[in-house]
Amino acid sequence: MSDSPGEPLTFAMGNFIAEFPTDRLYAKNHMWAQRHGEVLRFGFTAYAVRLLQDVYFLDWTVDAGAELPERAEIGQIESKKAESSLYAPIAGRLARFNAELLADPSAINVDKYNGGWLFEMAGDGQQLLTPEQYLEHLAAVWEVTQRTIKGQMNE
Amino acid sequence: MAKRIAVVISQGQSANPAKRQLEEDLVSALLFEPGIDVVVIPHLYDLKPDGTGALALQGIAGNMIVLSWLYERAARWTLDRFGVRGLEGQSLIKSSDEDEDEESEEDAEPNDKTRVIDTRPVPQRRIYCIDLRVHNSAAPYVEEVKRIARENSLQLMPLSLGAALSPTPQQLQRMAQPTNDTALPLPIVQPGAKSPTPPAHLEASASASATLTEAKTPTDSAAQLTRIEESLDRRWYPVIDYSRCTNCMECIDFCLFGVYGVDKAETILVEQPDNCRKGCPACSRVCPENAIIFPQHKAPAIAGASVVADSLKIDLSKLFGAPDSKESAEAIAIRERDEQLLLAGRAAVGATVGLPKRHSDAAPPAPKDELDSLLDALDDADL
Repeated sequence: MSDSPGEPLTFAMGNFIAEFPTDRLYAKNHMWAQRHGEVLRFGFTAYAVRLLQDVYFLDWTVDAGAELPERAEIGQIESKKAESSLYAPIAGRLARFNAELLADPSAINVDKYNGGWLFEMAGDGQQLLTPEQYLEHLAAVWEVTQRTIKGQMNE
Repeated sequence: MAKRIAVVISQGQSANPAKRQLEEDLVSALLFEPGIDVVVIPHLYDLKPDGTGALALQGIAGNMIVLSWLYERAARWTLDRFGVRGLEGQSLIKSSDEDEDEESEEDAEPNDKTRVIDTRPVPQRRIYCIDLRVHNSAAPYVEEVKRIARENSLQLMPLSLGAALSPTPQQLQRMAQPTNDTALPLPIVQPGAKSPTPPAHLEASASASATLTEAKTPTDSAAQLTRIEESLDRRWYPVIDYSRCTNCMECIDFCLFGVYGVDKAETILVEQPDNCRKGCPACSRVCPENAIIFPQHKAPAIAGASVVADSLKIDLSKLFGAPDSKESAEAIAIRERDEQLLLAGRAAVGATVGLPKRHSDAAPPAPKDELDSLLDALDDADL
């Protein structure tokens, strides 16, 4: 992350300080997006990774090449602390998955903003947020996130 | 006297160190058990139909115990798909309380339908499927394997699935010399012989491929370990539970991707599993008997659970963008199929093709509790 220009923005999740590089855009479902030629490359933000912690298993339920509406279900993830379905952050064509993560998903934890990227999509991504907007979004949803976690833990 | 039993350990796809450790703990513990042979295979569901792992399974002729990260039903019918068949062995380790569920499920429908399983012969050996997600340490599994091994070395095979009945002499005769043509040869153990040499039911698999790595133990009675190493891609296809399937053909009418076919006896089968659309479980939702299993689907009912087991982990799907879902099973199936048709560059058909003749029999929604309110708040929060 030393190659990220400028200081990253930060958000306090309790005692944990999540960092968000300013060289990219963000989606509301806690993924970052960075343009790579024709496509946008997506990965989990520090916020998502903090909630997940160690990722053990990742599976995609669509094939590369699929044209997807926004929020289409695309896969599953299992981590030390959580499990979740995963959804398309934007509408568009899913160009490619990071195949290395299927055998070893640990890069999601150790290199989330670079080698731990998840997939690439072709789409305009107009609704993606700037880092500042994403931080505002985090502040708005932090309460609900905490309630989700606590509520489920008390089940 | 001692009848050997094969213990198959199907490795998980997850890199979860606790899971990996459990698998290895099982191997280590079982290696010291007399009368047991251990076969380690990659994830059962992902095996290639003609690959080393499938051949190894097909080479096991006698009773077997299969430990996998799948619901018992999913494992059993995935094995069936690979041509590995037998009577259902009853393990004391269950991923869910099946008996209670079966009764509640079959309240409306009296159990008088003919199931496909009733019409086909089953090899006279037992297959015990055990879900590795039930316990998080190896000890209970080791105990259960030993119990099953004892059960199988002491008594001859009971023919009833539930209560252990003593077989009649005629039945014993038939087991020794099966009259149906699909029976697999049982390893014949001569009374009085010191111990069977070598584990005959593994020979076929061991010679099936040169890539097997074997660690032969010095004495005949100790375990033989076979590790199948095969690099596999993730697969996605339905497996049919023929103990539920009534051959009603709803699935073949509904699926528009040519996954299903019929055999010479006009019985439904998954003819082209790899035509199946990754992630799509629509046919399972329209099956009136819930006989279609997608072992890797996230919904336990579709993955082969008899009852829904609560996960201990937090579900972050809402935070990660899950859309609302208040659709009926039928509506979801139609939507999922349309999504797959569009992905394949074809036209959506909506409800016009192969609409199931029944209505969704999903349970009415439970009254809302605090968590529901919390989740409703999540829905409204535009995450």
